[in-house]
Order: sequence, then structure tokens, then C-alpha cells
Amino acid sequence: MNPRPQPLGRAGAKAACTIACGPIILVCVLGFLFGGCGVGTSDRGPIRFWNGFTGPDGRTMLRLVKRFNCSNTGPRVLMQRMDWGTYYNKLMVAGIGGRAPDVFVVHVDVLQRFMRTSFVRPMDDLFTKANGLDPADFDPNVRRAVTRHGRPYGVPLDVHILGMYYNVRLFRDAGIVDAAGRPRPPTNREEFLAAARRLTRDTDGDGRIDQWGFVFTWFRTNVYAVMAQFGGKFFSADGRRCLIAGPQNVAALQFCADLIHKYRVAPSPQNFDSWIGFRQGRVGMAFEGVYMLGSLEKQTDLDYAGAPLPVLGGEPASWAGSHVLCLRADLRGERLKTAWRLVRFLSDNSLDWAAGGQIPVRRSLRNTARFRSMRVQAQFARQLPNIRYGPAVPFIFEFYSEFDTAVDKALRGTASPAQALREAAERIDRIIEREQALAEQAPAGRSQ
Amino acid sequence: MGESTHFHRRASGYLFLLPYVVLFVLFLALPLAYGLGLSLFRWELVSPAPARFIGAGNYREALGDPYFWKALWATFRFVLLQVPITIVFALFTAVALDAVSARRQAFYRAACFLPGMISISVAGIVWRWFFNNEFGLFNAWLGAVGVKVPWISDPRLAMKSLAMMTLWWSFGGPTVIFLAGLKEIPRQLHDAAAIDGAGPVQRFRYITLPLLRPVFLFVVVMSTIGGFQMFGQAFMITRGGPEFSTRVLVQYIYETAFTHYRMGYGAAMSWMLFVVIAVFSLVQFRLIRERRRHEI
Amino acid sequence: MKSDPDRIPGGRAAAERTADTCALPGSRGRRIAAEAFLLFATLLALFPVVLIFLEAFKPDAEIVHFRGILPHRWTLENFLEVLGSPEEVPILRWFANSVFISSMVTLLVLVVDSLAAFALARLNLPGRRWMFAAIVATMMVPGQVLLVPVYLILNRLGWIDTPLALIVPAGAGAFGVFLLHQFFQSIPRELEDAAAIDGCSTLGIYWHVVLPLARPALATLGVFTFIGSWNAFLGPLVFMDSVDKYTLPVGVALFQTSYYAEYGYTLAASVICTLPVLVVFVLFSRQIIRGISLTGLKG
Repeated sequence: MNPRPQPLGRAGAKAACTIACGPIILVCVLGFLFGGCGVGTSDRGPIRFWNGFTGPDGRTMLRLVKRFNCSNTGPRVLMQRMDWGTYYNKLMVAGIGGRAPDVFVVHVDVLQRFMRTSFVRPMDDLFTKANGLDPADFDPNVRRAVTRHGRPYGVPLDVHILGMYYNVRLFRDAGIVDAAGRPRPPTNREEFLAAARRLTRDTDGDGRIDQWGFVFTWFRTNVYAVMAQFGGKFFSADGRRCLIAGPQNVAALQFCADLIHKYRVAPSPQNFDSWIGFRQGRVGMAFEGVYMLGSLEKQTDLDYAGAPLPVLGGEPASWAGSHVLCLRADLRGERLKTAWRLVRFLSDNSLDWAAGGQIPVRRSLRNTARFRSMRVQAQFARQLPNIRYGPAVPFIFEFYSEFDTAVDKALRGTASPAQALREAAERIDRIIEREQALAEQAPAGRSQ
Repeated sequence: MGESTHFHRRASGYLFLLPYVVLFVLFLALPLAYGLGLSLFRWELVSPAPARFIGAGNYREALGDPYFWKALWATFRFVLLQVPITIVFALFTAVALDAVSARRQAFYRAACFLPGMISISVAGIVWRWFFNNEFGLFNAWLGAVGVKVPWISDPRLAMKSLAMMTLWWSFGGPTVIFLAGLKEIPRQLHDAAAIDGAGPVQRFRYITLPLLRPVFLFVVVMSTIGGFQMFGQAFMITRGGPEFSTRVLVQYIYETAFTHYRMGYGAAMSWMLFVVIAVFSLVQFRLIRERRRHEI
Repeated sequence: MKSDPDRIPGGRAAAERTADTCALPGSRGRRIAAEAFLLFATLLALFPVVLIFLEAFKPDAEIVHFRGILPHRWTLENFLEVLGSPEEVPILRWFANSVFISSMVTLLVLVVDSLAAFALARLNLPGRRWMFAAIVATMMVPGQVLLVPVYLILNRLGWIDTPLALIVPAGAGAFGVFLLHQFFQSIPRELEDAAAIDGCSTLGIYWHVVLPLARPALATLGVFTFIGSWNAFLGPLVFMDSVDKYTLPVGVALFQTSYYAEYGYTLAASVICTLPVLVVFVLFSRQIIRGISLTGLKG
């Protein structure tokens, strides 16, 4: 420093120092106040319950957790939620960082991926009748989906099935009604096509169609369900070959593309966002998950109803997903007990959960008058014996990425269904090879 | 000044740097090095296989991965579409702002800057609805004149729509910087040129543009870097579709690392993107410097 | 005209820039053209924003149909719902978090970056060239790709789920150093030499000479940093575990599910999220102008 600074300079320097240090000190102090927790999660503190329930679902779940906390004597449960899309990324990053939550929700088709990490707890010792949850009360196809090497890795909370929503007023206007004048949702391909044709109209006479019989909303679930109805398979029994380009799948995808380009009863596809068309009352039929009920609740001017998907292929089938409750692997003692109590509580009260747009996975709960009075849920639940989950492969997101692209191309007409699916199958086969090579490097006992 | 004061001066100089350097090392250099190391390994988060050193294997994989090339091409397309229109629009806006009275200037500038303050999560939701083919706002209006534009459902158009949205969202920043640059230009130069009979276009060409060059360079480079890093718009509005036409490299990296959990491969592609941006920025610096040397 | 502080032009050209815009020949036509262009640009810029503000006053059912810009039935129910259940939607808490974190980030960036830029631009430190080059090079790194390493470092520090995780790493950004470095370089060295001859220390020069001159740059950087931090999405999402520690953008995203958006709530929350920044910006934009008008006249 200059040996003889001006008084003013020195004062300024001091001020600068203070200004420079002030926020840093403040930040540190506040850090202590706000934070104070060390690396990883402690054995104290609340039970951390993470899920991807945003929107009304999140608020319903929050109320359930609140009720649990009122009756619970152990550690408090603290629920954190974020949108599914980012939830999985975050869950995985937290998992590697040793900060996995104590209880967390995972979709059944993603569970295959998470079962292979070290932070999901197998539940064969907990998930028993003696511990308050009778596995026999759960549908076997659902139970199978959460099992790996004979051990369940989670408790399914619900099953959200794809079903058909239809606009009651449009059906009446188009005369698609039974003898009593009640709208008659189609149950097979001929009825479906006939209904879709009658519902597709130019209402204001400007030469442009502004009311559609059908709309593809989420391509993935819509086409997946139709493929399942056509009897399509996705992987060979040993999991080493992708069969997505099989003739049934090609035929199913062709039928879907035909709805847009040949029969002209569906508008150009735009994925999720087309749902808004159904809410606007400009679409007669749409295949969507039971979870979409939440978005219709506020659509006070829409008269809608639910029905099982019509059988467009050879056999009844529908896409479904389930939210699965999982536990962190290293839970012990009182915390494990509380976490399990929470899992049981949520399962026992899954009718409250279902009210917002879900179907309880437990038979005993579905056989109640209360569930039967949930009109859309009860209709969609009729499809339960024929549901198809997403394929149980560990590279599920990469599979969906290829599947979605192939469907996208075929529905837009930029590639023929056969070509689009063949390209996807080739890419998926390469992913399988890569995974296989990795599995062979894996230490014994944890191989796939 | 003696030897020791000189030393003191120097030491205190490094003290000035210290706070930033600590943060820089901890939260930029270290993570970057970590990423570089990661890129040489095959590491899949959920796989039971341990991370394995594979040298340039991930880089080789990228070169043979059609999705990588598609994403890189999408990134370039976005930069080439968005950067020029944003810069030109921002420059015109700044020049116009410079010509109006101060009170109006404050209002207009705030108005232009406003969209940038809207969080991308909000802006994304709204624009997705604007762009919706069948049920969206734009086509509802265009429908009145019998036109229907497949804004984000046509692979050839989707990126242009994103560039349009980005223009709206981000032209305020460059505008403010250009305006600050314009205010630096001595009025006398304009006056003198005007007296010599130079029209507004000539004055713009021969006074404003050359003197604005440092600011211009800054804005071009920053916009280009920002363009290469575009993520939120595509992620919120098109999710990379249709048919991956708007899946830019950052999104592909994000998906590879966080959705497919292929950390090593994601890190390798990050470094390749980094090199691409670095090369591009260097070329821009050079080009603009060259031209400056020629003209002055 | 000179009495209006906003009219006093700034920068190094201040002394020369005395003539008013009106004095330029042919300026009337130019002004009209400029106004017309600005009106057009402003309309483009504001339309979506205005739409967000208006739509927030519509009931959900009406938003979906969009039968006109103005609500047929004005309603506050979206706002009441969003503000009315602090336990489920702690939006005021998110707001406070955002204010606190963005202010702290801005302060940190201004202090740390101006010190570093000063050292790099004005002190003849050996190695400053390559240091500057290294710092600037990192501007090209997309933040998304650093997410995992930064998460692991923050976790090691025990900062995950604390505001520190959002504040401190933000200080490492190279943009501010670059911006201020360029600005500091444009300050004439004579001013500094004069101050040094007057016996000013290095810190004194930084504080008394460089910082006041750099006020417009600091203001610009401050505003950019504040807004960037206010709207940051990925960082808060990944580094914060607790809903009551979220910032506004992340909180607002809770109204959007993967499948559909609760438009009314989302829009109302967006308005609440945007309005304060708008106010701050309008206030601050005056500040920038004043900063510019004061700069340089002190030397």
C-alpha cells in the first residue's frame, strides 16, 4: 500500500473493506441460521417424503400427510414435491449424494431402473399380512410389476389406467345415443370409427373442420394401448431383442395414423397440448389417464363421462401406470417404523387419494360403495384385468425416447409405421447390447 | 516507490482477486475438471458396473451417434436463426430509443426489457399455448383469415417458432447494452457529420456502427454463447420435438446425464459443446477485429 | 433542458455531448419514425405480458376457451386461492426467499466481480492475461453440465437445502468479471495516475476513482444478476429439498403437472412472481440513468 495515503483514501479503503466483508459475513451467519446440517441426512429430523405430485394431486397428498402427522407419535413426516419430469433427475442426484429421501414415490415402469440402485429397500420382510398390508389384496399383475428376483421393492399406491373420455353433449348432438337417449360410447372398432366420423364436423360452415371426433393426446400412452390391443409385443422373453417392429405393432400404428390421414377424424397430432381441445368441448373422444380428471374439475361448462377404451384391435387392453411407495435402504429403528406406518396409512386411505383422479390398487377398497360412486374412476377400473404397464426394462427412458420418436414420425406421416418402428427397433437393440456389455462387467450377485 | 511497496502493491492486487478466485476454483474450475475426468470413463449411475476408464471412447461414441449430430445441427440452426434477428432488432430498438425524449425512453426501455424478467417456466407455459396448432391463440386469430400455421408441430417450422419466442424473451438485454454504447458516442461527431451533409443512414453507417463496434462485439459474442446454451425454451415448449428437430445439444446432454444417467457420455458431449462454443467465439472475435483493422 | 437530470448525457463523451437531440437537422422525421418503431416493439414485447396479467383474472374454464382478451367475468379467485392457503402454497415464503437470495447474489457478484475485474484490468499483475482468458473461457460452459459436480461439492460442504447453495456458487460466474473488466479498461489511466499522485492507495483508487466511474456498468450488472437469479430455475430445483425453501419460479412450477397446467393458478402465481421485479426494474432503470448522468463529471 502507499505509505502515505490521504485520510480520505484510507477512509474509503475501510469502507470498501466493510462493504466487501459485510455480505460475506452476513451470508455465513445466515448460512448457520438456515442450514447447519452436515453431509448426508441425519438420523434425526423429520421423515422426508418425496413425490412428483404437483397441482391438485400434490395438495391432496399434502392433506393426507397432514392427517398422518396428527395421529402419528414418531418423527414428523415432511413432504416435498416437484414435477415428475425433474423429480427423477433430482431423486437420482440426491441418491448418489447420499441424501435420498426416507420415503419416495416412483412410477412402476421406472422402478425397474431404481431397483438397481443401492438406495431402494427391498420390502419382502415388511410387505406382509402380519405387518398390516396383505399382498393378496393387491392384483397379481400389479404385484408382479414391483417384484424383482422374488422380492417386492415397493407398495403400489394406485393404478392409473388409460380410458376414454367422451363429450356427452357432442354425443347427444350427433345422435350417438341408446334407446333411452343416453350417450352410447363405442366399444369396438366399427362403432368407434362411426362415432368419430359423426362427431367430426365443420360447425361454423367456413370449410374448415373445427370439431373433431378423436384427438391423440399423449402419443405414448394412446399408441401403446392400441398396440397392446392388436396383440403387439415389445421385447423377447429373454429381453435380448426388441420386437417393437413386429407386424401387430405396425398394424396398430398404421391404424392410428389412418385416423388422422385416411379417416380424417383426428387433427394433426400435438401430444399433451391437444387435451385442451377436449376441455374446450371441441373433441368428441380422447384416450387419457384417469389422472386428467383433476383438469376437468374446473371445466364447469363441459359435460363429460368416462368409459373403457373401445377394442380397436383384437383384444381388450389398456395402458396403465402405478405410483409405488418406496423406502430408503438404510432406514433403521423408529424411523423405519414411522416410514412403514406412513406407507400403510397412505395405502389404507387410498380412496381419499383416488377421489382426485386415481384408482386404488387394493381390491377391498375398490369393492366399496364409495369407489363405485366415483363415476369415471369406476368405469376406467373395469379395464384392470387387461392393463399393460410400460415394458420392464432398465433403460426405460431411452426406450420411451425411441418409441415416442417412431410414433411421432408415423402420426405426422413423415415415415411409414413399418419404417419408423424398424429404425426404433434397431436403435433399441443397440441399447440392449450396451446394457448387456455393462451387465457382464458387473460384480457377481448384482448382475441383471 | 521502494521494492517493498512494490511487493505490497502486487500482494494486495492478488488479494483483490482472492474472493473471486476461491469461488471460481470451487464452483467452476473444479466441477469442470471433474467433468473432464468423467468424460474419460464409462459411468452409468444406475448400472451395477463400476466406472471404467475408456479413454476417448465416449468421444468416439459421440462422433458415431446420429443424435449427437442432429442435436449439434439443431443448436447451430437455433444460433443462426436467433442471434442475427435478435441483434438487428435490438440495434434498431436502441437507435430508436436514443432518438426519443428521456421520459419516453425510460418507458419504452422498461417495456422492451420486461419480457426477459418473466421466468422461463411461466413464459414457456404461455407460449406453448400460443403455438398450439389446433387450439392455440395464434391459430385462432389466423384462422379468422383462413390461415393455419403449424407453429411447433412441423419439424421444419418448430425451431423458427422457438427463435421467435426467444427474440421476444431476450431482445431487451442487448437493447439496453446497445443503448449504453450509443450514449458513449460523442454528439459532436454526429453534429459535424450532419453539417457536412451526411444523412441519418450515412451517419449510422460511418459513425454509429464503427464506434459501437466494441459493444457490438460484446453483444454478438454473448448472444452466440447464450444461443449455444439455449435449453429452457426447447425444454418447456417443444420438449425437443417434433422428431428431435428442436432438441439442442444442451438438452441432449441433460437427457443423457440426468434421464439416462450416462454421466461419462454426457460429460464428453459437454466438453465437445464447450470446444464448439470456444471456437465460434474466437472466430467471431477475429472476424470483427479484422474488419475493424480494414476499415479504420 | 439541462435541468432535467435524465437529459445529462453520460460516459466519457459527457463534456462533448451538450447539444440536444432536437438540434439535429431532420430530427423531427427521425423522431416520428423512432416512436413508431418503438411503439411496434413495445406492443410485441408487452402483448404476451399483458395477456398473462389479464388471463390471471379469468376463471379456469374461460381461460381454456379464450373468447377474447378481456375477461368476461373478472374474478380474484385465482389470486385468493394462491395466496389463501399458505400451508399448501407458501407463496409469500417463496417470495421472501427469492428476494433474499437474489439480493444476496447481486451483492456478492458486484463486490467479488468488481474487485477481481479491477485487479485484472487496472493492476499489472503477472499472469493476469491468462487468468482473464481462463475466466472468460468458462462463460461458454453451459451451467446445466456442471450441475452434478456442483451438487456433489455443495453436498460435501453441507450446503444442500440451504440458501448458501444458491448464493455462493452464483458468485463464480464469469460474466460480471468480463463486463466490468471491459468497462474498467475504458477508464482513462490519467484519472488513476492523478489519484495515485494525490496519495491514494490501491483500495482508494478502486473505491474513489474506478467504482464511481463504473456506476452504470455496476448498475447494469446488478440488474442482470438480480433478474438472472430471480428467474433461475434448475439450480433451486436441484439444490433445494424443502418446499418452503423454494424460490418463486420453482414454486410456481408446482401448479403445472406433467400432464396439464392449472392455468388460473399458474397465471396468478406468475403475476405475483413478475410484478415485484417489474417495480424494482422500473425504479432501478432510473438509477441507471442517474448513474450514467453522474459518471465522468466527477473526474
